[in-house]
Amino acid sequence: MKFQSFVDLYSKLYRLLGNVKFAVVIILIFSAYLTYGTFMESYHGTDYANRHVYKSVDFMFVQLLMFLSILVATLQRLPLKRHLYGFYVIHLGLILIFLGSFITYQAGVDGNLTLAPNTAARDVQLNEDQLTIQLPEEGREVSVALPYRARGVDLGLEWEGIKVLRFLPFSELQTSWQEDKLLDMTRQHSGTYRLENDNFGEDLTLSLHPEADFESTMQLGPLNVHYMPELLAECFSKPSYKNLIIWDAQRGSCFLPQDQNIKEKKGMGGKNMIELKVGERTLRFLPDLSPLPVDENLKLLDKAEHRIFSRALFQEKPHLFIFGRFASFFEKESQTWQVRDLKPGIDVALPWMGFRLRLNRHETQSYPKRSPSEVKPIQDNGELIQGGLKAVEIEAAGSRFWVTTSQAMSLNRKEGRVIFILGRKSLKLPFEITLDQFKMDTDPGTNNPASYESFVTLFKGNQGSEKHHVFMNNPMKKENFTFYQASYFQTQEGPYGSVFSVNYDPGRPWKYLGSLLLVLGSIWHFVLRKKPARPTTEVAHA
Amino acid sequence: MLKFFLLLLISLNGFAQTLCPDNLATLPVRSGGRVKPLHILASETLRFMTGSEKLEEKSAVEVFCKLSFDGMGIKSQLDLPIKIEHTDAKKLLGLTDADTFMPASKLSLRMDEVRAAHQAIKENNSYKKELNKILSRMQVLDQLKAGQTWTLPEKSTQNTIQWLPIFEFITEPKVASLKERSADPFQLMFEEARADYIKIEGDAFMMEHTYSKLNLFLWSLLLVILGLALTFSLKTLSPGLTAAGLVIALELTAMILRILISGRAPITNMYETVMFSGFGALVIAFALTLWKKQKLFLIGGLAYNGLCLMMMRFANNMLDPSISPLVPVLRDNFWLSTHVTTIILSYAALALSWVLANVVLVRQMFFTIDSKETRFQMEQIYTCMKVGVVLLAAGIILGGVWADYSWGRFWGWDPKETWSLIVLLIYMAILHGRYSNWITPARFIPLTAGAFMSVMMAWFGVNYILATGLHSYGFSEGGAIFLGSFFAIQTTFLIISAIKNKKALI
Repeated sequence: MKFQSFVDLYSKLYRLLGNVKFAVVIILIFSAYLTYGTFMESYHGTDYANRHVYKSVDFMFVQLLMFLSILVATLQRLPLKRHLYGFYVIHLGLILIFLGSFITYQAGVDGNLTLAPNTAARDVQLNEDQLTIQLPEEGREVSVALPYRARGVDLGLEWEGIKVLRFLPFSELQTSWQEDKLLDMTRQHSGTYRLENDNFGEDLTLSLHPEADFESTMQLGPLNVHYMPELLAECFSKPSYKNLIIWDAQRGSCFLPQDQNIKEKKGMGGKNMIELKVGERTLRFLPDLSPLPVDENLKLLDKAEHRIFSRALFQEKPHLFIFGRFASFFEKESQTWQVRDLKPGIDVALPWMGFRLRLNRHETQSYPKRSPSEVKPIQDNGELIQGGLKAVEIEAAGSRFWVTTSQAMSLNRKEGRVIFILGRKSLKLPFEITLDQFKMDTDPGTNNPASYESFVTLFKGNQGSEKHHVFMNNPMKKENFTFYQASYFQTQEGPYGSVFSVNYDPGRPWKYLGSLLLVLGSIWHFVLRKKPARPTTEVAHA
Repeated sequence: MLKFFLLLLISLNGFAQTLCPDNLATLPVRSGGRVKPLHILASETLRFMTGSEKLEEKSAVEVFCKLSFDGMGIKSQLDLPIKIEHTDAKKLLGLTDADTFMPASKLSLRMDEVRAAHQAIKENNSYKKELNKILSRMQVLDQLKAGQTWTLPEKSTQNTIQWLPIFEFITEPKVASLKERSADPFQLMFEEARADYIKIEGDAFMMEHTYSKLNLFLWSLLLVILGLALTFSLKTLSPGLTAAGLVIALELTAMILRILISGRAPITNMYETVMFSGFGALVIAFALTLWKKQKLFLIGGLAYNGLCLMMMRFANNMLDPSISPLVPVLRDNFWLSTHVTTIILSYAALALSWVLANVVLVRQMFFTIDSKETRFQMEQIYTCMKVGVVLLAAGIILGGVWADYSWGRFWGWDPKETWSLIVLLIYMAILHGRYSNWITPARFIPLTAGAFMSVMMAWFGVNYILATGLHSYGFSEGGAIFLGSFFAIQTTFLIISAIKNKKALI
């Protein structure tokens, strides 16, 4: 009885799959998926669309149903009928295309080979992400293949006491504020500011906290921004002897040379020198060269708690000093140092190109950290403008941290050092390729590229070398791999490097044969087939 | 020094008029990687800035030449009306909604504001793109005035041609020596430059001049209108067929000229694909008319060809008629001429089915049409659709083979290829639906009319909507407005006809 119901179900399913109406429904569902995919691609970029739609499990299922529909519809119309010859050829072509695509999906290789000039390369970078964990002292390493998903996924893997917790395929570093009640508010504060004029605007996050992920100096074009302890602001507001300011980091205070009757001397190679008595010791400074004191051999004493700033060094070019809730700069017109109060939300005019500075946040009990947080990517002109960072969360040696594609991590455990690298899976070619020259021609009188060409040499162990010329529409074929001119880049030293796309496609013959059958079948079915006479011909001549 | 010399020359001899003599139009210039006659460059430049190829009664060449000397202190007194289209940009510049231009002299004073507004917008939306266009238009004007746009050929001592910007080309000794030989030294100077160029490089660039002067597409449009009138009003087919034949001949000539000018198949940008689809649809309709002796095909073919010609003539905002070099990957004439041609021909055949389907819908709405006639019309539409589907399948596969050959992948879910597949699938769904009894003749016709929207999406939508990145929601730009209006009109029409023909559809 059970067997009978199974047979019934099977024959029902078989009839359904071969039904033309089912074909229409599945074609429409397939089209709807594709339409959705193109919009996803447009908004979120190619990689996201592939992960979310085209290579997702549910889309694979729709493709499987489509394949079954084609297959069963063909089988149901056997044995061969003369008026359906075109139909058979079309559907056989489609079946072969599906098979070929499946073979490509399972066994094909599609990656990139980056060729720096005159450097041998053999590693093809594939599309799959992987996390590599290395134990250098033990000479061991393990690679974790990361799932091809569009959204963040919990991994829950463990190896040698290292937990791989979570993978984010698209993320962005976001700032979060960590509380730290022990913060020395006079010296370790942090803040966010808005610097803008009519043409330009930038949000600045600056911090003096040692664990913050933000710096205390910044360069914005010609403007240098220095973030300093608030206590220095007072000294900047006063005129001082030789424009010098002395800062005692231990006490957290500053004073001016004239307060302690300190005078400049000539010494140490004719440079201006300041001597500062600290208890028993005498510290020597060359303020024109560095704020740090020096020893007899002119070596900088970077652990010293005292600094001497020569403001004179910061008068020529635009330098903005921010002291938490104060800002200072040199005003050329009046030839004086100005200090301004920064009040949250209120613009303070700066003396350069109409720039204004605004304090947004001043923190003395927390500091800014950056950590990846999952986002949907956004693309613009083929480049991701948001979400281009992949990240993996790790728990090891009692702490949790993120490894990202832009930053490998190194961790010291009592068992030894561990290195985490998040990158792409790679494949070793059976030969080496060296880029001898990359050539780019431009359209006459313009900078628009007209052609990209790579001249390469192939080395294959003892079998010698051979030269190849690869350019657009002229790939190089070698040992089942095909190399295509895909892109190029300029190295820091000047010459150009080249990027090949590398491809191995065992499904190709099936796809080609299927395509040929599809086209021939379509012509046969739609154009050549003699249809049963319809009443229309009479009207046509009426 | 040269500036002083020119000013002196002009003031002494009244040369102001002759700085830009009449023979300039056919002077070879190099621009955008190609050599072309000056009047082509001048028209393209002026059209980019003002949307028109003339300024009042002055020709593009005259305006171009006079503005080029502006930077030399020889003031042209020309104030170009710069095109401003976006409502927000108009608001920014204090224009009313009715204003579509702003004089360059006034606009140049507001450029800081435009730049600041451009900087302030983070998303690449249509307003930002419009501001970018305004900045580019003004930059082109500045470059023109600085004499950088105009490069001229000069014979070198090795008897080769070198290209020089206008102010390097005109040198004091050159003008002085020419002045001894002619009362009109500038005319002679340009004449000699042209003669030298032709002697060394030949006069192939003049082909573009001929192409532009022949106005073949305008004549084609007039003939299309005549052909439609003849086909509608006369019972015989031959006058209409003759007109269609002439249109085909004229358009073929125009395309051959474009091939000779560019050295590649004329199907590499939107303008050319519209041109080719109109041509292809008329050829297919012509053949079907001869084969099936049916007026309807000819009417459909001529009407669609006319639509394409009108788009080419009036939608310059969206379709750029200029000929420019290709990106490297497209530089393969074999694949370009097989894959793209097949796809565009398939769109042409599907366009014919669309025109015919809409014609039937109009007839159903406003006239009476019996079921026999409807069935007959459906057969005609079906014929076009079959041709379109076969060509489309072949075209997609050729595209796959080209992609495999050039990039190493047969299929990559690229939006253009995906959308062409969607089109094929939609037509396939209709064809399969017809095999079952889901799609009756009465449903088949509106579905065919509606299905063409997928073709428009694949053809224009991918470039004008998807390629811009959806976050810009670029519906206020030329191409997207066109497409949005097309979808809206077609959908509204289908809904109205569905309501009117409710009975037939059930």
